[in-house]
Amino acid sequence: MTLLSVRGVSKRYGGLTAVDQVSFNVEAGELVGLIGPNGSGKTTLLNILSGLAVPDSGEILLDGAPCQGLTPERLAQRGVMRMFQLTRVFRRMNVVDNLLVAGRALGLGADEALLRADALISELRLDVIRHLDAGQLSGGQMKLLEFGVCFMVPPRIALLDEPFAAVHPTMKEIMGDFIRARHEKGQTFILVSHDMPVVVELCQRAICMNAGGVIIDAATREVLNDPRVIEAYLGGHAV
Amino acid sequence: MAQSSSTSPAVQPSGAQLTTTRTTVEFRAALIAMAVVALIPLGVSNPYWLGVLVVSMYFAILAGSWNLLAGYTGQFSLAPATFAMIGAYTTGLLNHYFGTPPLLGIVAAIVVAGLIGLLLGRAVMRLVGPYLALTTLSFAEIMRLVTANSIDITRGDLGLSVAGLMDSRVGWYYLFLGALVLLLLMFYLLLRSKAGLFLQAIRDDEVAARRAGVNVVFWKTAAFAISAAACGFAGALYAHFAELVTPELGLIGQTGLIVSMTVIGGMGTLAGPLVAAFLVYVMSEWLRDVGGYQLVVFAALVVIFARFFREGLWGLAKAAVQRGRQA
Repeated sequence: MTLLSVRGVSKRYGGLTAVDQVSFNVEAGELVGLIGPNGSGKTTLLNILSGLAVPDSGEILLDGAPCQGLTPERLAQRGVMRMFQLTRVFRRMNVVDNLLVAGRALGLGADEALLRADALISELRLDVIRHLDAGQLSGGQMKLLEFGVCFMVPPRIALLDEPFAAVHPTMKEIMGDFIRARHEKGQTFILVSHDMPVVVELCQRAICMNAGGVIIDAATREVLNDPRVIEAYLGGHAV
Repeated sequence: MAQSSSTSPAVQPSGAQLTTTRTTVEFRAALIAMAVVALIPLGVSNPYWLGVLVVSMYFAILAGSWNLLAGYTGQFSLAPATFAMIGAYTTGLLNHYFGTPPLLGIVAAIVVAGLIGLLLGRAVMRLVGPYLALTTLSFAEIMRLVTANSIDITRGDLGLSVAGLMDSRVGWYYLFLGALVLLLLMFYLLLRSKAGLFLQAIRDDEVAARRAGVNVVFWKTAAFAISAAACGFAGALYAHFAELVTPELGLIGQTGLIVSMTVIGGMGTLAGPLVAAFLVYVMSEWLRDVGGYQLVVFAALVVIFARFFREGLWGLAKAAVQRGRQA
């Protein structure tokens, strides 16, 4: 069953076409890798999918219903959760409160939200820092916290933008285990990452963008061996 | 998977409890301060100084209300004194022209100030930082000038006489104290609820709050309206206390005092601005003899606190208690 359908989506900033006629589908329960060199349009596409940017043209369907142009909060209510490349947490609120904000905003009662926050804190191994303000955490801990925020209420689709960037290997492992476990239970993801071994390990399918457009959408191994992908990354021809 | 811990999540204090504790500690400290204030008339009977303390409580309500907006939600409005003026004129005009009883006038003042706050909140929804401050400053000056120049209705700078509620200074003292404690309780309950979580989340990162599903437009507008309504309440009470309403209530200098009190007391803390309101206003009375220099003193204090003591007097007190425990 198609959960997310992106049809001919484009976004221009002045003379720059950041996203150019992008089309793809994501089936429910898929874990799709979104790769491409810097400036290829991945983050702009995630901005569009999460409501932070409005496409100039094209259509986005979530569960068959159009959702382009909805605000981030409306999309969050409909189950689209986004993790940012540059970490965004509530720096003057403690770890638990950071999680509770999402839980309460997405309709959980106080007790239920607290139970889920406790469970996530335990699963993400944030127990010892649960009472610290987010601003006091290390960069990796903040990433884990923001990651947890996305799962306070299991989303329909999680859009993860570079979750593994500049993160300690242990924390990377925690996030990887978390993604794997949720995926096995049917959680849908779009994962943006430059960490190719992780993409290969986690994602069966990958989409590669370059210069705003999709250059290939196929099985991850096939994508990584595609000459166009190698050229896009290295700026030269495959050997 | 999870770290083995001697304190399981089931038995260790939860985060919500911790947040509640933080707010509760501040609330209790504020209540203790108010209890001390309640005892002052037992030792001070001079009507002048009782009047000074009543006005301090007026400013404490304004500082607490502005703190809800600026300290907890991050919306740096420069119109709290204007909303007090709006509240004062609402009950003043109703009383002057229609003989409306003060209690009804005060309710009307809360509603009118809250509605105008709601409209202003919607109008400045997309503005942040200096743009928000300048827009609300413009609104404040426009409102004050319109009020001052509508001489046929408001009597302009001559002021509008308003009926009093009682003659007893001590009675006014406890009425203002009751109003202050009531608002303190309301803000405490608000901050302990999910609304408090959302407001602080918006203050810290609006985009992250939206991503988490927080209806930012609603909560920012609500904070503006609640803060304005509380300022209108203070203004209406003050109008019946002073028995005179003038456009001076909305002077930017009044807002400057409110900002000073909040920054010196500690923005985003429940107790700090209330206590600082007393300190700053009583000090301003002491410094009255040196004329305009009192504003220089407060401006310097604001700069010092904003630069070196971001949590204000509350932060200093907290640090002193922690040092005492460690010693």
